[in-house]
Amino acid sequence: MLSEIAFYGALETGLIYGLVAFGIYLSFRVLDFPDLTVDGSFPLGAAVAAVLIIEGWNPWLATGCAVLAGMAAGAVTAILNVKLNILNLLASILTMIALYSVNLRIMGVPNVALLTEETVLTPWYDLGLEFHQVPVILFTLVTLVSLVLLWRFMKSETGLAMRATGANPRMARAQGIATGGMIILGVAVSNGLVGLAGALFAQSQGAADVTMGVGVIVIGLASLIGGEAVITPSTVVRALLACVVGAIIYRLAIAFALNADVLGLQAQDLNLITAVLVTLAIVLPGVRSKLASRFTRKAA
Amino acid sequence: MISASDLRLTFGKGTPLENPALRGMSLTVNQGEFVTVIGSNGAGKSTFLNALAGEVLVDSGQIIVDNLDVTRLPTHKRAARVARVFQDPLAGTCENLSIEENLALAIKRGQRRGLTTAVKRQYLGQFRESLSTLKLGLENRLGDKMGLLSGGQRQAVSLLMASLTPSSILLLDEHTAALDPKTANFVLDLTEQIIEEQKLTALMVTHSMKQALEVGSRTVMLHQGQVVFDIEGKDRDGLEVKDLLGLFEKQRGLQVDDDSLLLG
Repeated sequence: MLSEIAFYGALETGLIYGLVAFGIYLSFRVLDFPDLTVDGSFPLGAAVAAVLIIEGWNPWLATGCAVLAGMAAGAVTAILNVKLNILNLLASILTMIALYSVNLRIMGVPNVALLTEETVLTPWYDLGLEFHQVPVILFTLVTLVSLVLLWRFMKSETGLAMRATGANPRMARAQGIATGGMIILGVAVSNGLVGLAGALFAQSQGAADVTMGVGVIVIGLASLIGGEAVITPSTVVRALLACVVGAIIYRLAIAFALNADVLGLQAQDLNLITAVLVTLAIVLPGVRSKLASRFTRKAA
Repeated sequence: MISASDLRLTFGKGTPLENPALRGMSLTVNQGEFVTVIGSNGAGKSTFLNALAGEVLVDSGQIIVDNLDVTRLPTHKRAARVARVFQDPLAGTCENLSIEENLALAIKRGQRRGLTTAVKRQYLGQFRESLSTLKLGLENRLGDKMGLLSGGQRQAVSLLMASLTPSSILLLDEHTAALDPKTANFVLDLTEQIIEEQKLTALMVTHSMKQALEVGSRTVMLHQGQVVFDIEGKDRDGLEVKDLLGLFEKQRGLQVDDDSLLLG
């Protein structure tokens, strides 16, 4: 079984990947824009926050700058697509590759440690809470605030225009919606959320690393698809809740897999497990309905 | 009033597939007119409509809508003046948004969109009232997803959406062609009703000569990217499909060989 520390650790990273899943929901689901920029904007957020914190900035201000940096990265991807007519997937790969250099430039070294610095978590440790519960409590608050803000945005006039842009661009244009502008705004906000996740991840793990973005897109997708399998995303709130729930389930599943000695899995098997989980999450709903139809036919 | 003058547009210029779709198309539609547009396949009907809407930009010529030169403006900047219903019943609405959300999108056509709630409470009465004119019971299903509706129902809602806010011109692109005959009649009746009640200026492309003569106040026939004839008033009253064909042959010295045009 999981130790208490491992359980809280899974919740902590799960909540952070919930923010990534929000971003991926926005790009993949709302805008129908397959965006791989996140593999670059996640470490970008971490790098910006880490460097500014070491410079002595207020950690929340540094985190805010990480969000802005993520948004700028997303905007670059969207502009490559909208203004220069580069295929969306390719545009995002270009930005992602470019960000690897940018992140190294920002940090100056491949790894920046934050262990002795004051982070957004520091004041919370003085409240006398259990050490491993602090990040979970703070990140739950951040996630809830982001969820409510995103939900309200999706219900606003601009948010509705963004949903129409992804669902039916021709209709959106006919209604006077500048679809290009909506794509730029949406992909920017999406990567802003991912930048936020990166900044929080660096602060809770005590370091920013230039390689920490590898596979973030797959983890985010796993969370999104897994969550949608548990909570049918028939409304915006349900879709957003599915992101968080999916991310937490994913991290718990990983923690179980690594802790179960019977399976003999080790930390280096993480990416393989992720790939298997994503495949299962994509395939299982189809299998389930196929089985269901077979049973109902027998019953009839 | 809208006026298109000497519109020219060639697709695939400089390639073996070069296709001149508009070859000096000119047409002026006055306030309150309901013009039906006919023509065989490839006559330039859809291209003309797309050019008016802004989906394609013309190579040369000028389009003026209510004293504003819109020739170079993209679709979304014309949307305040130009309303549109597509041929494909699925194209005019978003299936994964609810009926009220689709209507809320349309009520802001061509206007600035802010961060206030899209589906405002004060809209709901108006939505219910306009939906009830369809007599489809949709006024009680505001929260239902658009995708749950049939093609005919969706086309009826598209029409409603196009007339929810004022426009200089309503473009109807063979909007009954993809429906079964009974539903097509229902949508056509609804079209006439809405245009008459709101005194809209409309341009309706149709594939059926019969339909073109039965509705509207003026009929225009396109051929090879140009207007070949334009009839209204007394000249048009009592005209039948065979008269129209005669007119066409006299004008062009051509035989109409498009069966669908004859039989439709």
